Amino acid sequence: MSRFLARRVIEIALLLAIMSFVIYALIGLMPGDPIDLMISSDPHLTAADAARLKALYGLDQPLIERYWAWLKAALSGDFGYSRLYVQPALQVLLPRLGNTALLMGVSFTLTLAIAWPLGILAARRPGSAFDGAANLLSFAAISVPSFWLALMLILIFAVYLGWLPAGGIATIGDGGFIDRARHLILPVLTLTLVNFGPHLRYMRASMIETLNQDYVRTARAKGAGETRILLHHALRNALIPVITVVALSFGSLFSGALITETMFAYPGMGKLIYDSVLSNDFNLALAGLLFATLMTLLANLAADIAYAVADPRIVYR
Amino acid sequence: MPARAAESADELSIGVSQFPFTLNPLIDTMVAKTYVLALVRRPLTTYDPNWKLICLLCETLPSFENGLARKITLPGGKQGVRLTFTIQKNAAWGDGVPVTSEDAIFTWQVGRNPQSGVAEGELFRRILDIKAQSAKIFTVDVDRLTYDYADFSDFDILPAHIERAAFADPTQYRFRTRFDTDPTNPGLYDGPYRITEIAPGSHIVFERNPTWWGNPPFFRRIVVWSVENTAALEANLLAGGLDMVAGELGMPLDEALAFEKRHGGAFTVIYKPGLSYEHIDLNLDNPILSDRRVRQALLYGIDRQAISDEIYAGRDPVADSFVPPEDWMYAKDVPRYEYDTEKAKALLEAAGWHAQGKEIRRNAAGEPLSLELATTSGNRTRELVEDVLQSQWRQLGIDIHIKNQPARVLFGETITKREFTMAMFAWTSAPEDLPRDELYSTEIPTPGNNYSGQNHTGWKNQDADKLMDAIETELDRPKRQILWQQLQALYADQLPALPLYFRAEAYIMPKWLQGVVPTGHQYPSTLWVENWRAVGRDAQASAK
Amino acid sequence: MIKRALAERRVMLGGGLLLALAIVILIAPVIASALGIDPGLVDLRQRLESPSLLHPLGTDELGRDLLLRLLEGGRVSLAVGLTAALASAVLGTAVGLLAGYNGGRFDALLMRVTDGVISLPLLPLLVVLAAIDLNKLGLPASFVQSDAASLYRIIVLVALVGWTTVARLVRGATLSLVRRDFVRAAEALGARPLRIMLVHILPNLTTPVIVATSLAVGEIILLESVLSFLGVGIEPPLASWGNMLTGAEETIALAPLLAFYPGLLIFVTVICCNLLCDGLQRALDPRGRISPP
Repeated sequence: MSRFLARRVIEIALLLAIMSFVIYALIGLMPGDPIDLMISSDPHLTAADAARLKALYGLDQPLIERYWAWLKAALSGDFGYSRLYVQPALQVLLPRLGNTALLMGVSFTLTLAIAWPLGILAARRPGSAFDGAANLLSFAAISVPSFWLALMLILIFAVYLGWLPAGGIATIGDGGFIDRARHLILPVLTLTLVNFGPHLRYMRASMIETLNQDYVRTARAKGAGETRILLHHALRNALIPVITVVALSFGSLFSGALITETMFAYPGMGKLIYDSVLSNDFNLALAGLLFATLMTLLANLAADIAYAVADPRIVYR
Repeated sequence: MPARAAESADELSIGVSQFPFTLNPLIDTMVAKTYVLALVRRPLTTYDPNWKLICLLCETLPSFENGLARKITLPGGKQGVRLTFTIQKNAAWGDGVPVTSEDAIFTWQVGRNPQSGVAEGELFRRILDIKAQSAKIFTVDVDRLTYDYADFSDFDILPAHIERAAFADPTQYRFRTRFDTDPTNPGLYDGPYRITEIAPGSHIVFERNPTWWGNPPFFRRIVVWSVENTAALEANLLAGGLDMVAGELGMPLDEALAFEKRHGGAFTVIYKPGLSYEHIDLNLDNPILSDRRVRQALLYGIDRQAISDEIYAGRDPVADSFVPPEDWMYAKDVPRYEYDTEKAKALLEAAGWHAQGKEIRRNAAGEPLSLELATTSGNRTRELVEDVLQSQWRQLGIDIHIKNQPARVLFGETITKREFTMAMFAWTSAPEDLPRDELYSTEIPTPGNNYSGQNHTGWKNQDADKLMDAIETELDRPKRQILWQQLQALYADQLPALPLYFRAEAYIMPKWLQGVVPTGHQYPSTLWVENWRAVGRDAQASAK
Repeated sequence: MIKRALAERRVMLGGGLLLALAIVILIAPVIASALGIDPGLVDLRQRLESPSLLHPLGTDELGRDLLLRLLEGGRVSLAVGLTAALASAVLGTAVGLLAGYNGGRFDALLMRVTDGVISLPLLPLLVVLAAIDLNKLGLPASFVQSDAASLYRIIVLVALVGWTTVARLVRGATLSLVRRDFVRAAEALGARPLRIMLVHILPNLTTPVIVATSLAVGEIILLESVLSFLGVGIEPPLASWGNMLTGAEETIALAPLLAFYPGLLIFVTVICCNLLCDGLQRALDPRGRISPP
């Protein structure tokens, strides 16, 4: 198990390194001279220093050397200055990271809390009216454009009914728990509705297959109650392939968060990356993308660990 | 965001649509900065809401009548003027150090240094000498006698005792200025308030300045919140998080009109027509735009009247040049460009851009007539106007790419460094303001002069320079009016920029707020913030 | 095979609706020029009009007829969707085929790459890719500034993501095909791997490729609309359903219908694609050997 973990950690580090190189190279292809902008974003850098750095790491230098210099600085916590906010990029990033983690965490929990029970119940009676309804619902959910759903929710709940705010993270001058919770409802709802479809379908499919297995029939024959069969025998095994799918969905969860944050003016990482790429704030964009990738990969790792815990048969070599 | 309990009756929260990322009064020009600085600093002179020049930091406005202004003869025979200013007796910086002539002299040294990155350097370069007659009295020798000789509204006095260290290496001044590295230092401020807290991109907190020498301000604490999204401005206004929205930079006019229709009962909404000149700066170094016929075609090809009528509810008059109808020297008889697509097409053909059916025009070398247009992103009304312009120009076979940027980036860098092709924005001026920094041929920002000057278009026109020189030194009003007319006509003829319209501003305030007087020009209403007061305000009601 | 497909209800429903939509969209420009209406013409005096005889769905904030604009947007969205789906199909099939046939480490590596791509936060990366200055890639300036460039760019971007779906399905199908007798026979006879893949295996992949592509079309249309909505896909004034909604969250109180229709059309189109895919799968692969990821 620990060997497996060690291997996965190395894989993640490797993937992160590759991604950081790819992203760094991509930034170099941005309009203008991004390296110049990255260097001169620091308002405390003297003009002489900036010129010297540019000669050292400018666009006319080989990519590898530029990347290496940037990597060394990044590993020691220096991601440069944000051109947009006139602060160190990391300082702008970290609070946003927390906001996005909150949004993703709450909606992900809600997603599974809705999708899994519905999937399990649908699997109990395949072909029933309930199953049909669940199928229809998940079908619609995977087809709906997330930004349109957000617009419709805003229209209904913020404009027509006036129950919930149309955006932001808190009201100015407030910011208490209830205020923040109210602001979180629509974004979380959007993200949840858009994401629960696949999870419902996978749980249903996995449960159906598990329920057809011999050992389940055996347990039934021995007289075990339906609920016990469902939860004790079948679920543990049904969970295994489902967790694999869950692990792969974090990337799209983050992408969904980007759209949601932009729609609701929610100050998170996704919106930050979007804003910074469009306003040529390369230090911030680079740092943001990397943290986003890191977050996603770590979530994958967590899912892998859950997988190993759930299935005692798995032996990782 | 700090979670605050009920706002008490002596607090005010103001919403603005942009955050001022630099606070040094002399470097870069942004309305957000001017608005905010007026809460904490006082200039020597200013124009009041009646468009009269008055003294703020000085005691008496120098004039020939009161003897505080005298003509002097300079070496070489030219005529200059010597002005005597007396600083208010009790004027002091927030740390108790009095405002003195030393500060004035230091400011001049910073302003005239070509390396310091000052935006409006011409004012300082004209000053030949400043001498301290006493701690509070100083004389200024100016190298020419201009009609606005007493106007020192842009001479923003810096606190020498604080800024001198930052100015040790002039080339580093814009990076070292304490206004940005230490903005809560009380010694930077001589106004009714000082800055006690800054959250970049979010808000600035102001509290009463104990050393303030004028009328005591009513509000103990003012917070200015930067909210870039109009819907959020509205939402917070209705929820009570914001008390007012600044007219100088707040809600776009059409949204304010819509807001008034829906919620006007609970608020006071004032529309002030003004000196905000919305235009499109054209980078004249661009080969396509360097041809005057193309510029004229661009203007003939857009229906500005329709935009004003439909998008701005008819409240914004179409501009023919940079002088608004309210200014006394406004000239009616200048070249006018009514919407005329045929004329536009003819001009483009004459300029060598040939129509390709419904496709983009191309010149003889096969290059497409393609241009980039930028404005402040997040401003929905401007983006709407961009869509209209793009569509109307497309009808003429001109391809427009829209590339918007946040205000901070657009003003702080793109426009300053002339890295744009066409940029749509507004500049707000003072009454009878000669836009020397924007139009004179020596005011083009370059890397060599540390990007000082505001002639972003790069317009070099000798006749214009001569007219501006003549206007400046012409003290006789009727004669000056003729010169003004000629300058406006020349501007409208040559079109270094495309005039669009003059924007009215919407001030949205709670019914209990009194004393706010919009000025309509570049010197904001906050210069008289000590006169604002809350009358009949229910502290309970404002706590939601 | 086609008979079986047409017999399936879902195929008829989904496919039928799509076809109807496509026909209306293609006919629109013909109708427009017959009536003398220019869908792109901005007429500020007619902003935000309610539905009328002349404008069945009203006008948008620039005075353009909404119905025609929706149909125009549909043309672009569907064209981009189909092209990108085809590109994804080609790329995905190649990868899946190679992985399934060669098996072993090669397969493991390719699958790790596929999984790697799926597990990344794709949208932020695509936003960065979309913002690249094409001039720096060495493409001629005249191409870079043309309208076509933004279309090609979005097709490439979307295909970069869309191939994974097809690859996984094709790989699964290839793996089972590889064990079949006719393949082993061909190998025994000494046929070269490339020939085996192209001549023997590929034709039998028709079903999974069709199923996978129909699934991918839905995903691709959603992806294009998101990118256009964010302003990094299809650029105005060229209409696409996605970019008709750009910034709609700010004006939604003033013009709710403008935000409703484009999204509704995306929704309906994607549902039809998914229905089609579901139906095709039931018709062509009733035993469920191909399972969508």
